[in-house]
Amino acid sequence: MREELGAYILDALEPAEREAVAAHLAGCPSCTAEHARLAALPALLTHAEGLEIPAAPRAIEERLLDRIARERGAGRRRRLRHRGWIPAWGRGRALAVGALAGMALGVGATALVLREDSSAAPPVSYSVVLSGTGGASARAQLSPGHGGTEVHMWVQGLPPGGETVYEVRCERAGWSASAGSFRTDARGRAYVVLTTAARLGEYERIRVVRRSDTSDVLSGQLN
Amino acid sequence: MLVERLRADETGEAMRRLYRLYGGELYGFTLNALGDRGTAEEIVQEVFLRAWRHAGRYDPGRAGVRTWLYQIARNAIIDSRRRAAVRPGLPQHEPSRDAEGGATLEQAMLGWQVAAALERLTPEHRQMIRMAQFRGLTMREIAEHTGLPLGTVKSRTWYALRSLRLVLEEMGVSPS
Repeated sequence: MREELGAYILDALEPAEREAVAAHLAGCPSCTAEHARLAALPALLTHAEGLEIPAAPRAIEERLLDRIARERGAGRRRRLRHRGWIPAWGRGRALAVGALAGMALGVGATALVLREDSSAAPPVSYSVVLSGTGGASARAQLSPGHGGTEVHMWVQGLPPGGETVYEVRCERAGWSASAGSFRTDARGRAYVVLTTAARLGEYERIRVVRRSDTSDVLSGQLN
Repeated sequence: MLVERLRADETGEAMRRLYRLYGGELYGFTLNALGDRGTAEEIVQEVFLRAWRHAGRYDPGRAGVRTWLYQIARNAIIDSRRRAAVRPGLPQHEPSRDAEGGATLEQAMLGWQVAAALERLTPEHRQMIRMAQFRGLTMREIAEHTGLPLGTVKSRTWYALRSLRLVLEEMGVSPS
């Protein structure tokens, strides 16, 4: 009789069956207690009628993780600046000049100074070559902008299309700031314009990782 | 716990897991309340961002993670409605039963949490509840429709309700 209770509670029995269960309940404290535990469920279920849980949109997930990475990076930069660990712009400028010298001497630096402005504002852009396995490569042009760095990146040689999301990170030893994410086209290429709260001079390399497992895909040093 | 790991986790994995666990139902709840996909996406993003920013304030003794996120979403929806109300020309949201839809939102929150509880049942149990409760079929009709023996249908329905009750208790949703 107990297994009839579910149908009784959902009012899904034939009239004669229903009367039989009602009569049983009148004389069975155990079944009455079970009935009492479940009797409120139909009213609760009415609130869920017609509701289908949708898949969590992936676009929100990507934007959310980007936003958090930026806020985390900005917070870290504030803390480091407070402690005097972040180089002032003048030191970033020195880094750029050093990179230029490295190139001129043929030392193998991959960060090339594209232009240098004589004004006091931070004017320098870098072009960074990134290399990866399986013939994947990229070029990133980095320039000051939006309170951090604007990153233009041309990518080729990655697996074509699909759902794989790649994340671009600006990093130095011990920390990492996201610059955003991208997918490749049907030919395994991408051109993206991204921004990061990390400023030129605050990071030493650009790394592209596969977002699903954070595995390395491409990497390039700034100096 | 997942929420406690949010702030310390540099990889984003904790947030990714939290979002994948609750993002779908919160998106459904928000979209249903606001009626606009773009706004709903912004609100859901904001909900998880607020959760990340205020993870340190989360008290598991006061509410489960799901309830906490729904409360954040409820507040964000009310804020969004207030903003829309003072910006003529924007799409109007569905009419609500009180000034800001608070009572309606509470019911909707409950509904989405029950829907989430149903999703955690086995497909067989979920099917029994849906056919009996939402389609109004009797046990005999369900048996005919599914080809299952009548006794099996009754038994599954019984265990489905018991499972639902347990899941709701785990989620902190009181059936009574």
